[in-house]
This record gives sequence, structure tokens and C-alpha cells, in this order.
Amino acid sequence: MNSPIASEFLGGGAARPARDGEAIRLVQASVRYRVPHERIGTFKEYLILWLQRKVKHHTFWALKDVSLEVRQGEAFGLIGQNGAGKSTLLKLVARVLRPTSGRVWVKGRVAPLLEIGAGFHPELTGRENVYLNGAMLGFTRQEMDARFDHIVDFAELWDFIDAPLRAYSSGMWARLGFAVAIDAEPQILIVDEILSVGDEAFQRKSLARIQGFQEQGVTILLVSHNMGVIESLCQRAAWLDHGRLQAIGEAREVIRAYRQSQPG
Amino acid sequence: MSEKTLATKPRSDVVVLRPSRGWTTLNLRDLWVYRELVYFLTWRDVKVRYKQTVLGALWAILQPLLNMIVLTVIFGNLAKMATDNIPRPIFTFTALLPWGLFSKALSDAGRSMLASRAMITKVYFPRLIIPLASVMGGVVDFVIQLGILLIMMVYFKITPTSAIWTLPFFLLLALITALGFGLWLSALNVLYRDVGYIIPFLTQTWLLVTPVGYSVKAIPAQWQLVYALNPMVGVVEGFRWALLGTQNPPWAVLAVSVLISLTLLISGMYYFRRMERTFADMV
Ligand SMILES: Nc1ncnc2c1ncn2[C@@H]1O[C@H](COP(=O)(O)OP(=O)(O)OP(=O)(O)O)[C@@H](O)[C@H]1O
Ligand SMILES: [Mg+2]
Repeated sequence: MNSPIASEFLGGGAARPARDGEAIRLVQASVRYRVPHERIGTFKEYLILWLQRKVKHHTFWALKDVSLEVRQGEAFGLIGQNGAGKSTLLKLVARVLRPTSGRVWVKGRVAPLLEIGAGFHPELTGRENVYLNGAMLGFTRQEMDARFDHIVDFAELWDFIDAPLRAYSSGMWARLGFAVAIDAEPQILIVDEILSVGDEAFQRKSLARIQGFQEQGVTILLVSHNMGVIESLCQRAAWLDHGRLQAIGEAREVIRAYRQSQPG
Repeated sequence: MSEKTLATKPRSDVVVLRPSRGWTTLNLRDLWVYRELVYFLTWRDVKVRYKQTVLGALWAILQPLLNMIVLTVIFGNLAKMATDNIPRPIFTFTALLPWGLFSKALSDAGRSMLASRAMITKVYFPRLIIPLASVMGGVVDFVIQLGILLIMMVYFKITPTSAIWTLPFFLLLALITALGFGLWLSALNVLYRDVGYIIPFLTQTWLLVTPVGYSVKAIPAQWQLVYALNPMVGVVEGFRWALLGTQNPPWAVLAVSVLISLTLLISGMYYFRRMERTFADMV
């Protein structure tokens, strides 16, 4: 805590920063969204509501008071129903969102696999999109030059690399996005439901790559509705329900508790 | 181990996220780490724009030429306003260079945040880069148009003044003004979609209060300083002075313009940063 900026950010917070050996730490992290149809979209609506003194913000907590720690080198699973807040939690870790209250500490370079191929442009070629996406992840052109062959090798898309992306199938698009993001030498890998893209061979390859990362000591935060994947990859897991933490602990235990709660 | 709230690049820094309230810092270091992204996004915008239209890069030339013809007819043949003894096409085209940059920047930057929704909601990077890149996209067109202007000047046998070396300064001023407004509009457009509809009207009206089709001398002396509150007045007059040597350097007007442009840029950056945290769930 020797940088003035850090102390400014920590000022007033009662919680401690991440301890050694911790990669991610959430302390009572909450995220509040405005519910879309209640959003005031135009000046006119705003004026009318303001004149009627009705500027109320109807809001919705997608995450509420979630505290958890993920240790370095651990594979951690997140499970829960649709809309439980799993992707929202990942967005916090990836810095896309800020918590509405609470604190989030993240130590290390994060590779956001929130949705792969985000920012790809259909009119640009595969090659051009790889460089563009690399820049989005904070890489320079030289760094991307060094990675390029490796990325295309992994995606197995050499035949199409100079074709515009609109000529790709959705699986090919996703493969390229996955290959770029996975090549970013992350210290923390965030995986949101992406193991289901690509054909079976590519899924196996991706899984093997993630397991390889695990052996290298990369921290993995994995969201999946496939309990088999969570159980085989993750040591620990957390179950989110309507934005609240229901259970956290050994992956098998959490999955069992989650399954028991589900009807049918 | 040091803790930083900045870039994700340095490999083992700790990023601390907390709710942000009030005014944040500008965080320019983060912008520097991602400088290549400005280049790539600018390049992407230009490339896609040229690829998607039939005439491609030719539009960069046609648009100001058509504007020039319209303005020449309106202000020359109909209103018969003076041009400081410069051939009217040159007189108008010189002003259309920075004007085109500015008006394009306003409409592109205004739309930019919504157009980049997919990126904003998925990946972290300094959001300021998006409007910045859309303003920079106009520089490519500008360079092409400058080439056309120089050819036209050869044709009309006009030699540029020795003050031509000041042109980069005026280009910079045009960019600062455009970015300042662009930042305000792009952030406001996320909150209120009306802004997108106001922008075309805004640029049209703005063109009338900027000395593009006419000379600044057409404005009565007592109104000159009020007129100069429009920072594009200083930019346009600066371009004419640097290229054509229309009159004495417009120092007073320029000083006002520079001041206003910088105020706009700095306030725009702060406003944008302040609104930044809401972008991911508002776009
Ligand atoms: N930008 C937004 N504005 C308003 N509400 C949102 C926004 N994004 C998500 N939500 C809401 O927040 C809740 C949590 O969403 P989230 O995407 O985190 O769910 P999830 O657990 O990832 O679900 P799934 O399993 O379907 O991917 C949902 O109810 C969703 O409607
Ligand atoms: Mg999700």
C-alpha cells in the first residue's frame, strides 16, 4: 500500500486488501442495475417526471453483499440459475463494472473471456481482428506479431485468416475470439460459459488448454451450467441465487446442495 | 508489491475496485498503456467506412467539394458576400477543411459509445479511447482534402503564405475543439438518446455561425468578440490566415478560441470520466 492512489481508493474501507496467496477478494460486493423499462431515456420523459417530482430510480440488485476469496492458482466454479448474477460477478473481476457498494480486489492480469470475439468487426479480416482484439487486451503490435502464429494455429483458421469475418461461421468466429483471449498469458482466467462453443474437438482442446493453465498456476474463475465440467475442473465453487451467495465450499458439496434445491 | 488502480498491463499489480462517487481522476496513465488501441480503432473506422461505400475514399473529396459548390452559390451568387479578394472556391474550401473535421467528429463521437456497446460491456479498457478514436478518424480525410486544396491552389495560382508552418497548430486546435464537444456529446448520448437526434441540427446551425461561407469581416465590429465565443471562428480564421494570408493574424479571436477549446476539452474529459462507471449498464 505504498501508492497514494491505492490509499485513496482504500480510504474509508474497513476491509483489508487481498492477502498473499489470494488472487480475487470480494467484500460485500453489490451491484445494482436500473431496471431497463424504468430507465428515463429522454430529456422529455425526464422533464415530465422531474416536474411531477417523480424521478425515482427503480433499481434491482443483481449482486448483494457477496463476499468470497479465490486463492492464487485455484480453479473456482460459479453456479446458479439464469439471472443469478454469475456474469455480473465476472464483470466485476474483469473491471467492466464497478461495485455499487463493497470492495473488489483483483491481483494479476485478467483475461476476460466474458464473451469471446467482443469487438470483432465483420468487415475486417480475421488477421485484422486479431490485432484489434489484442490491442483491446492491452497488447502492442509487436507483442501481437509474436503471438499471431500461435493464435491462428490454436484456432486452426489459417485458411480463412485473410477473409472478412462475416464469411465465418459462428463457431469459427468464437474459436478465433477464444484463441486470442486464451493467448493473453493471463494470471486470472475468467471463463463464462464458453466451453460450449466450437465443435467437440475444439471443446476438448479448449478444456485441455484450461487444464494446462491450471498446472501452470493460473487462477481460473469458471461459470458453467455443466456441472460435470465444474466438478472435474474446480476444487471449490460458489452457488449464487438471486444475487446472494447461497453456498461456498468444496465443489462437489456446493453442486449437491444446488441440485437438491432445484425442482425436478 | 505495489497497489495500483491503473492498468491491467503491469503483470502483478493489484486492481482495487470500489464504488466511485463524485469526481474521479483523469487517469491518463491508463490511456497511455492502451495507446495502440486508439490507433487500431481509428484505423478500423476509416477502413470500414471506405470499404462499405461504393465510392470509398472518394467521399473524402466529394463531400467538401459538394459543400463548396453549395456554399459558393449561396454566399457568392445569392448573398454576394466578400471573400477578402480570394477566389471564392479556395476561400470556402480552406474553411471546409477544419469544418469537415469538426462536424464529422461531432456526429461520429456522439454515436460512438452506443456503436461500441459490444466492447464496452465485455472488456475493460479506458472508455475515453472510443470517442478519441472517432475524432481521429477524420484526420485521414483531412489529409486527403489538404492535398486537394493544394492542387486547387496551384490551379488558381495562389502561393501559400510563409505562415503555413503554423497549420499543425490550427489542426490541433480543431482537434481539441472537436474532442471537447465530442466527449460531452458521447457521454450525454448514453444517458439521453435524444442527443443523437439533436446533433445534425446542431452542426447545421453551427455552420451558419461559423465563417465558412463568408468572411469574419461580415460580422459588425461590436459583435466580433461575442462571435469569437464560437471556438470554430478562431480555427477557421486561423486556417485562412495560415494558408491564404487573408488578413492580420486574428490574435484576439484566437486567444478566445484557445481558451474556450481547452475549457471544453478538460470539462469534457472530467464529465466523461464521471459518467464512465455507468456506461457498461447504460449503453
Ligand atoms: N445492464 C443491465 N441492466 C439491467 N439489468 C441487468 C443488466 N445486466 C444484467 N441484468 C440483470 O441482472 C441479473 C443477473 O444477470 P447475470 O447476467 O449476472 O445472470 P447470470 O447468472 O449470468 O445468468 P445466466 O446463467 O443466464 O448467464 C439478471 O436478472 C439480469 O436481468
Ligand atoms: Mg451469464
